[in-house]
Amino acid sequence: MFKKLIEESTAKSPWLFHINSGSCNGCDIELVAVLTPRYDVERLGFKLAGSPRQADIVVVTGPVTRQSLDRVLSAISQVPEPRCIVTMGSCPQSGNVFKGSYSVCAPLSKYVHVDVDIAGCAPKPEAIIDGLVKATEILKEKRGQM
Amino acid sequence: MNLTNMMDYHHYPIYAVMVLFLGAFLVAAGGARHSKNPDNPAGARAWIALCATGLSLLFLVLLVKPVMLGGETIAYWMGMRGIAGGYAIGIALEVDALSLFFALLIATAVFVSAIYSIRYMVHDECVPQYYVLYCLLAGGVLGLVLSGDVFNMFVMVEILTFAAVALTAFRTKVYGALEAAFKYLVVGCMGSTAILTGVILLYAQYHTLNLAQLASLIPGSMNDATKLAFAFLYIGFSTKAFIVPFHPLAADAHGAAPASISVLISGVLTKSGIYAIIRLTWFLFQTMELGSMQFMLVFVGSASMFVCVTMALAQHDFKRLLAYHSISQIGYVLTAVGLSSALGVSAGLYHAMNHTLFKGLLFLAAGAVLHETGTTDLGRLGGLSKKMPHTTVLFLIGAFSISGIPPFNGFASKWMIYQATYQRAVETNNIGFLLATVIALVTSTLTLASFVKVTQSVFFGQLPAEYENVKEVPFGMRLAMGILAALCVLTGLFPNTVTSVLTEPAARAVASVGEYISAMGFKSALPTPELSFAHVGVWAPIKWLLLLCIALLALTIASLAGKYDRVSAPQEEKTDTKYQLFYGGERSVYSQVGGGDLFWGFKHNWRHYFDFMHNLHSGVVNDYALWAVIALALAIVYMMIAL
Amino acid sequence: MTVFLTGLQYLGYILIFPGFLFCFFCGLLLTGIDRKLVARMQKRVGPPLLQPFYDFFKLCGKETIVPAAASRTTFLVAPLVGFAALVVVQLFIPICGFSAFTGMADIIVILYLLLIPALAAILGASASGSPYAGVGLSREMVTVIACELPLVLVLLAVAKAVGSALGTGLCFSVSEIARYQVENGSLITRPSMIPAALAFALIIPGETGSHPFDTAEAETEICEGMHAEYSGAPLAIFKLTHAVKLLTVTSLFVALFLGGIGTGIAAVDGVIVFALCVIVTALFVSFVHAVTARLKIEQVFKYYWTVVSGLALVSLVLAWYGL
Repeated sequence: MFKKLIEESTAKSPWLFHINSGSCNGCDIELVAVLTPRYDVERLGFKLAGSPRQADIVVVTGPVTRQSLDRVLSAISQVPEPRCIVTMGSCPQSGNVFKGSYSVCAPLSKYVHVDVDIAGCAPKPEAIIDGLVKATEILKEKRGQM
Repeated sequence: MNLTNMMDYHHYPIYAVMVLFLGAFLVAAGGARHSKNPDNPAGARAWIALCATGLSLLFLVLLVKPVMLGGETIAYWMGMRGIAGGYAIGIALEVDALSLFFALLIATAVFVSAIYSIRYMVHDECVPQYYVLYCLLAGGVLGLVLSGDVFNMFVMVEILTFAAVALTAFRTKVYGALEAAFKYLVVGCMGSTAILTGVILLYAQYHTLNLAQLASLIPGSMNDATKLAFAFLYIGFSTKAFIVPFHPLAADAHGAAPASISVLISGVLTKSGIYAIIRLTWFLFQTMELGSMQFMLVFVGSASMFVCVTMALAQHDFKRLLAYHSISQIGYVLTAVGLSSALGVSAGLYHAMNHTLFKGLLFLAAGAVLHETGTTDLGRLGGLSKKMPHTTVLFLIGAFSISGIPPFNGFASKWMIYQATYQRAVETNNIGFLLATVIALVTSTLTLASFVKVTQSVFFGQLPAEYENVKEVPFGMRLAMGILAALCVLTGLFPNTVTSVLTEPAARAVASVGEYISAMGFKSALPTPELSFAHVGVWAPIKWLLLLCIALLALTIASLAGKYDRVSAPQEEKTDTKYQLFYGGERSVYSQVGGGDLFWGFKHNWRHYFDFMHNLHSGVVNDYALWAVIALALAIVYMMIAL
Repeated sequence: MTVFLTGLQYLGYILIFPGFLFCFFCGLLLTGIDRKLVARMQKRVGPPLLQPFYDFFKLCGKETIVPAAASRTTFLVAPLVGFAALVVVQLFIPICGFSAFTGMADIIVILYLLLIPALAAILGASASGSPYAGVGLSREMVTVIACELPLVLVLLAVAKAVGSALGTGLCFSVSEIARYQVENGSLITRPSMIPAALAFALIIPGETGSHPFDTAEAETEICEGMHAEYSGAPLAIFKLTHAVKLLTVTSLFVALFLGGIGTGIAAVDGVIVFALCVIVTALFVSFVHAVTARLKIEQVFKYYWTVVSGLALVSLVLAWYGL
């Protein structure tokens, strides 16, 4: 029973940790927009956590610059299991307009398993919410396998 | 004298003192050469000192039954001389419950510190001489509290000041040791001189030095010369208790002396000053009925409490911080005693006892840190709990006790002090006592803040690379700390036993001056008052602990069932980023939040006060000597007006 | 047999009401209500009422990571001790006329017992070794100092007011205060106690680390501060302690100032007290949360030692002159 309870709760209380890996701030603002009264993802239990230790979902924005790669990876490694990695915007998936630059390491999936990609430059809040809800389902599944 | 006569308990007080002086003599007779054993450079001489302190404690413990429980006051004439022609001739010892109470505290602290010294004093030079001075200091303080003679009190003050100054300067290579000793010497001598002047003034008028006889003569025949003597004696003993304005001396002396001596200076010397002030105000001059006297003691006590706790917050050296806290705690004792109510005196004495125990423990813990790391600078230490787990636990017990966290002993006595002050405030409708209550309550929290700072910057936080190889201290030192820690817990858990066996008899002795006088063979018409030690509040530590244990047990079972302890462990500690601290993604580096940076939010609001205090405490001995003179002048003026 | 039954009764007090089970459900529910109210005040839909329960169970299911630099034992034991100590405090707070355990602790003792959970959190944070936690614990300690002075003044004022009304001069016992209110009506109806009640109400967000006094756990500037390195079950316990502290402090407020509103039946009184707690939370935690932004730590300190202490002092002076 407790296992079931915990599994259900995991889907209902996902806490986000947001990493900016050199983003232009467009996606970051959209993520904040999702928390505002108009969209209010807190109704689904989402909350921004201040430390990766408390997070369930890591949201990465930006094209993963060479400077930030180590930092992104070490912060992701500090998130306790079960965790879900979400990339937001086109940059971390493909490098977007920065593709080919000597200082950009995108895509992020080369270095770490990415669970959900939210496409767009920047993605619409509706798309972000949709992606995050998908992530909660994956989270629940991962918890079930633990 | 046959053996049974010799083992009569009336002789025990003098034995307790003499055994320490004899120990000092024997250690000195053993020569100054270090023995070959690196773990104990003084060899058998250390054991002699330990035996002397142990025997002294034993003699005093044996006196608990007749004096504390039986209510007897032992009057003892040395060399069998007594009263001739109505005047006391010869040297007297008079032991009532008050004297014995302080003597027990002193003997316990001295004994525990002696255990600690054996393993602690291994890196020093001249260790045998250390034990000579140690026994002299112990004997001096014990003699002071057991003496029934005001001139003998002065002699003992001289012996203990001499020994204490020498021991403060003992580690001459430590930065500031000689300076601290010099400051102590200058101001200490001013204090001793003040005491001597007071004694002379009294003798000139009353032709006797016996405490009991003076107590029977002085009240009712107070004149300006007596008041002058009172002021001199009060200031003289204030320097021994280090209360405001003599607190800067304590900081220097404690900081520089070896930790085992800091225990004595803080736990023992200050107590002897407090003892003497109680004797003066309650017995010799019997002025505690006066509102002006109560005001003076409560005012000085509250000032000591608050000024010293804020000074402690600004310190960045472990031992200097403890030194200021000691005076802050002495402020509690003085405030409680100055209330002049039965509960107040009992609470004050209780706190005096607790202070000896927890401050001793804290100084020994500071000594353990110094012994292993070579520094007490809060800015350079950190994370020692991983290397010294036992010391950490013992330190935390001491820290909780001094901060007044239930159920440790500091809380039990402070709780009584809060009640006593507030009760007095309500009884007398005096807003001053109310202020003392508030200061006492807030000081307690500030003390906690200060010890959180020590905990964070010495025992928790991050371990600097240079202390990777630090080890736990030897068993002998942990044993000494363990004894004090156990006493801290026990006296906190059984406050009713402690008060009924120790502090209430002592408080009764304080109130029954008539018995003190008549036990010595002088006439006294002073009645023995009926005292009530009733509390307003309720606090049942054992029951609370039981509840906490049940709650904790239930919680532990629940969390173990929920696999609370299944913690993922790092494979490779150094490289796995998962188990490194979170630095916003950066690689882990050493970045300890230092003691000086904590509590910025508090200090910022008080910056003008702290600036003022900083400028005031110049560290120049001339200034402190001037403070002493001003204090003396103020005391004289106050006594002339108030009495 | 009777001994056994009494033992069972006390065990029931500890484990069910007003102990663990009550604390767990009511504490988390109160936090849920608080979060919902704040959201509604900000024109958001807000999380479901049971959100704190989801958070708690989710955290229980997460991996617990102990950083290599941390002192492991202290790090793991601190949350448990803090929570247990807080539950024990809850046992001493009377619910209208009903007190589970009397004659064990007075209000001064409760004041200091309430320090233990904060101290446990501080020690746990300190043991984690994180510099963020270091900054957080320093702010927490300053907040504790800040709240202490007005709290002390409030408690002394209450002790004096009730004591002089009872003719004993002073009254420190919480159960006495509760009984006095059952007989003579709530303390808040006395003019001298109104500033004290207001001061205490303003202390509640500070004691519970709620907006605008949540500098110690400021998630946006110092990465959750004291809890920066906590994850999994220990964090769940901390969050629970946080929730229960809200319940404890508000129910202490209710016991001191709004007592005497009750029926005499323990279960019904429990509901009434909880309802009062919700009202107090709504007014002084949720509303304050919704309309303020986080203060700086030195502003927190200044605010408590001037405005709130001033209010409490007014009350103390009024109580002193018998109003």
